[in-house]
Amino acid sequence: MPSVLRPILEFAGVTRAYGSRLALDDVSLALEPGELAFLVGPSGAGKTTLLRLINREIRPSMGHVWVDGLAAHNIKASRVSALRRRVGVVFQDYKLLPRLTAMENVAFALQVGDLRVSDDEAKERALDALEAVGLGDRGDSFPHQLSGGQQQRVAVARAVVGQPPLLIADEPTGNLDVDTSWEMMDLFADIAAFGTTVLIATHNVEIVRRFQRRVITLVHGRLVRDQPAGRTGRMAWLATS
Amino acid sequence: MAGDVVKARFPRRLLIQIVATNIFRYLFRGAARNWFRNIGSAAPALSSMTLLLLLSGLVGLVGFALYNLETIQSAEASLLHVYVRDDARAADVDSLWDRLAADPRIASVTYTTRAEALARAQHMPGLPQLASATESNPFPASLDVRVKNINDVASIDRLVRYEIAVDPVYSTSYDRGAYQRIQAFLLGIAVAGLAFLGLLGFVAVTVTMNSIRAAIHSRRDEVTIMQLVGAPRWMVRGPFVIEGAITGAVAGIVVFGLTAAGIAAASTSFAQFAPGVTAAVAAFAAALVFATGLGLGSGSSLISVRRHLES
Repeated sequence: MPSVLRPILEFAGVTRAYGSRLALDDVSLALEPGELAFLVGPSGAGKTTLLRLINREIRPSMGHVWVDGLAAHNIKASRVSALRRRVGVVFQDYKLLPRLTAMENVAFALQVGDLRVSDDEAKERALDALEAVGLGDRGDSFPHQLSGGQQQRVAVARAVVGQPPLLIADEPTGNLDVDTSWEMMDLFADIAAFGTTVLIATHNVEIVRRFQRRVITLVHGRLVRDQPAGRTGRMAWLATS
Repeated sequence: MAGDVVKARFPRRLLIQIVATNIFRYLFRGAARNWFRNIGSAAPALSSMTLLLLLSGLVGLVGFALYNLETIQSAEASLLHVYVRDDARAADVDSLWDRLAADPRIASVTYTTRAEALARAQHMPGLPQLASATESNPFPASLDVRVKNINDVASIDRLVRYEIAVDPVYSTSYDRGAYQRIQAFLLGIAVAGLAFLGLLGFVAVTVTMNSIRAAIHSRRDEVTIMQLVGAPRWMVRGPFVIEGAITGAVAGIVVFGLTAAGIAAASTSFAQFAPGVTAAVAAFAAALVFATGLGLGSGSSLISVRRHLES
């Protein structure tokens, strides 16, 4: 029976040009609620451009980008913040504020995104989010007191504390060792299992192959392959750069 | 009753309190904390803003004083002294007086005797020495004609200059170019003052914009995170605009303090060196300067933020 769920993320004929160079060329795809997908491709394939289009850091040159029903391709500047509250973002370099504790980093994101959140509520929800990523006992630690994996977990907690329907991660395991990378991927899988759509841009072939999830492959800005979950083995070579 | 679900709205007052607390924390307290933390980079902006406001205030007060001076000079220029010859007959003087009084362009005509002219001269700067230099009275009697419109002074002068009762050598006090010279001088001062202030304003705004750009750069990570977690645009920009406003306000307070000190030290002598500049006027100017500082600081920050903080 075909799915009747509205896609959380939808690209329709999206092209993004930088001068005469096409970073993305006529890309169309859709992600449904709770789906976990990998975005792979060599360096310069357009992965980061695609993620930046989702978050409306840039606009497409052509085509439509829909995020949870919002038209990211032509959204007003004053509404961009509303769109971004629907998208959690995780970076390779964590981007935590060094002068705030782990709990404060998470609470900060919650409160600046929604001024109606009180201190008590922010603290409670931040601790819940940290608990969920396995750092319930490190809320008072500053980023420099945490390992790389722990910092990335704090970043994930910050990304999901507002309960966005979509989570995007740009090379989230790029700075992590192998074991920590697996833990991180398990965490993303858990998040997806609770209904959040997760899109992970990665170079890590091993992770892509073992997780057997949907894999979207970009090469030179074109979507060259969109492998459904469970059939990812044959395309793993494309993820190498 | 047990088991009933009671639907209750979140108390509005509490919600307002929470929002106000968060705005105060992230906008005002955050801006103030960052301003003090980065005072080194804000110092040039603060200095130039203070200098701008101080000079603006001074130029404004000088301009006000000159405006008052010009008003006085204008009133003086519309007063035409028609000097009566020493041997003029009373009938000729009366006749001239009557004709002038009947002229619709003239507001009033009064007669000043030689003795009154001498007495008046003794109260004018530089003339007492002249008045006492000779035993005789060198000042002539005059008909003092108050002309309604200053532009009619020249025609009244032409009208009376060759009257039989009028002194043929020094017939009137009319100086064709005097008023125009004063006006040209004041206009020149005003233009030069405004140009100077414009230049200084440009420098102050540019320096403030650069200090805000430095502040944005130093907090790039925080700004990026705020943008990415969906903070409203005004909340991302707000602290920087408030930082600029703090710079302007502090500069304004410094100028306000200097002005207050000036008022306290020399309130009685204002009227002597600057006609019309009372303590109240100076206080109003200081308040205006403070408001200008606030506006300039926040305005230049806003420009900088719009230029450097767009995602």
